[in-house]
Amino acid sequence: LGLLRNINPQKRRVIRENFEAYAYIAPAAIIIFAFWVFPVFLSVVVSLRNWKMLDTFDTTSWVGLTNYVRAFNDDQFIKVLINTFNYVVWSVPATLIISLAVAMLLNSRIRMRPVFRTVYFLPYVTTWVAISIVWRYFYHPQFGLGNHVLLNYFHVGELKWLLEPRGVIEMLVAPLGIRISNPVLAGPSLSMFSVIMTSIWRDIGFFMIIFLAGLQNIDQAYYEAADIDGASAWQKFRHITFPLLSPVTFFLLIISMISAWKIFVPMFIMTPEGGPDNTTATVVYYLWEKGFRGTGLLGYAAAIAYILFVIILLLTVIQNVFLGKRVQYGD
Amino acid sequence: MIIETTNLPVTIAALIVSVFIIFYLTRLAQSRGASWAMPFLGIVALVFLLVFAVVSARVIERCVRNFGGNNFSLFLYVILIYELAVAIYSITKKEGRVFSWHLKYQILLVGSVIMMLPFYWMVSSSLKTFTEAIAMPPDWIPSKLVWQNFVEAWNAMSAITYGDPPRPLTMGRYFHVSIVTGVSATVATLITAALAAYAFAKMRFYGRGLFFYIVLATMMVPGQVLLIPNYILINRLGWYDTYLALIVPWCASVFVIFLMRQFFMTIPDDLWDAAQIDGSGRFRYLWTVVVPLSKPVFITSAIFTFLANWNSLLWPLIMTTSPQMRTLMVGLQTFNQEAGQDFHLLMAASSLAIVPVVIIFFFLQRYFIQGIARTGLKD
Repeated sequence: LGLLRNINPQKRRVIRENFEAYAYIAPAAIIIFAFWVFPVFLSVVVSLRNWKMLDTFDTTSWVGLTNYVRAFNDDQFIKVLINTFNYVVWSVPATLIISLAVAMLLNSRIRMRPVFRTVYFLPYVTTWVAISIVWRYFYHPQFGLGNHVLLNYFHVGELKWLLEPRGVIEMLVAPLGIRISNPVLAGPSLSMFSVIMTSIWRDIGFFMIIFLAGLQNIDQAYYEAADIDGASAWQKFRHITFPLLSPVTFFLLIISMISAWKIFVPMFIMTPEGGPDNTTATVVYYLWEKGFRGTGLLGYAAAIAYILFVIILLLTVIQNVFLGKRVQYGD
Repeated sequence: MIIETTNLPVTIAALIVSVFIIFYLTRLAQSRGASWAMPFLGIVALVFLLVFAVVSARVIERCVRNFGGNNFSLFLYVILIYELAVAIYSITKKEGRVFSWHLKYQILLVGSVIMMLPFYWMVSSSLKTFTEAIAMPPDWIPSKLVWQNFVEAWNAMSAITYGDPPRPLTMGRYFHVSIVTGVSATVATLITAALAAYAFAKMRFYGRGLFFYIVLATMMVPGQVLLIPNYILINRLGWYDTYLALIVPWCASVFVIFLMRQFFMTIPDDLWDAAQIDGSGRFRYLWTVVVPLSKPVFITSAIFTFLANWNSLLWPLIMTTSPQMRTLMVGLQTFNQEAGQDFHLLMAASSLAIVPVVIIFFFLQRYFIQGIARTGLKD
């Protein structure tokens, strides 16, 4: 500090502020660098080596892109990608539509709005692990409420729910004598579909809250003008609500697709071992299974993780390109 | 005969659809000024009511026969009659708004029942005996409240012992691990994030833009991608299966830094000038002026950080192995695997795991909902 005395006060203050600032960001920066930034690069290294569970860097060797090539030749991995894709395209739009409907009902003049809002939001607050256990019970072929309702209130046959590997579309058209073998066209297995229903049930609250915030930002003057012009409820939705809400909808679509690609917990709890015929195994489940069970192929698992990363990154890029700065974080 | 083959939901659906059709035709006739159509509609409504009376008698019979002591169908039936009354009222009084007003509440109510049913089922099953929990048809209300289930679920793993002297492993241990991990990671995150966010928001230093860009870029990296390198790292550091592995990597959050920075930017610089005149340093200014002003953002951040920790499954599953290091979620998952069909115990354990979260939610609901609405943070 004796050194600093020879420098002019203005400069001294700048240097002092610099040191202070570095000290302030240091604790967070060290942790973020060590456990978030550095691992991104370490992950590349691991994915390019034949790294196994108990290896260190020295006991592994460079294998180039072998792990990535292997992934795309791995039937199981392709299946897992299709499973996750099915989950994404079936759960996200349904959740969006239902929650928009609920949000619009709650946004109209209604009594007890906070009560309804709490009720719809509660599933989202509770933890995936616990509610997955509850829904596993619900779907139990013998003791579950699901089959009881089907049998006694709808007088249709029993379903195997979480134990059923056939695709839902495949099951629907089977009585017509049509057979579908394409895994995408056959839809998610009933097992996966059961998980999808649970995840819709859970996520409605989250989407609803954001839709409500979006709806409340729409200027009432538009609706008043539409009323004067004698617009119907549908016209008001089609020409006012939907366009003005589209940035919110798009934002929700992207972030929910991102989080849906990363889904793991409900399948892991409700359908152990990847479900019937591996139809509920998702990408993250597969990465866990390859990386941390048995021989623990960490190199291969890291390659899978990177492929997932690329998918998610693409979605993020799409979001940023299309949305720009239209989504406001914070105030 | 058609009445013999119909079932309750089909009947309900048919009735509701017919009510809608009549209602719509009435509105249509009204708006077109077609008063001649009214008598015809009246006749249709009458026929419809007659059919309804016949069908309803059959349905009641079926209800009683099929469901025995089950009151659920009767309950549905009462709702149906109420619904019809409203529909007929709004048709005869030509008050369309009454009907849509009722419809709105009814949709919301049915939705609420669906949302709450799993919770009711969880709690009621957790209070049943084993035979009652797996009984078919199910009992909606437990005949006797078996509080013992909670004790059993709590002690389900007590065959395993840990520590010296050996203690049985209970859910208490899981709670202990989860709370220690969650609270320390949350407190640490708030401190590190407040410091970093303050520097990013209010101080000038070389590389500020670059560092902040790194923070933003890190937000895009999904945590699952980092599991493998972090597993290797944690092993290398010798933290595997310790509290350090569960806590230290979660002591900073780019998201919380970002959130706090946005809030700190809105605090006027005049306050800092005033504080300087009063002889306060930056550090003191941060903790005595900025932090109290930012209470909402701190509470929101604390909730999200704590819940992310409390709910996380994959990280503790990978980073720990011994039974005494199980967090509540890992413990619950293990119990789920081992309990098989002891649903009454599983439901008791799940209820216990949900309780703290629900309590936090009810006390801090405002911050929860504002936080989500503002940030759109998803899982």
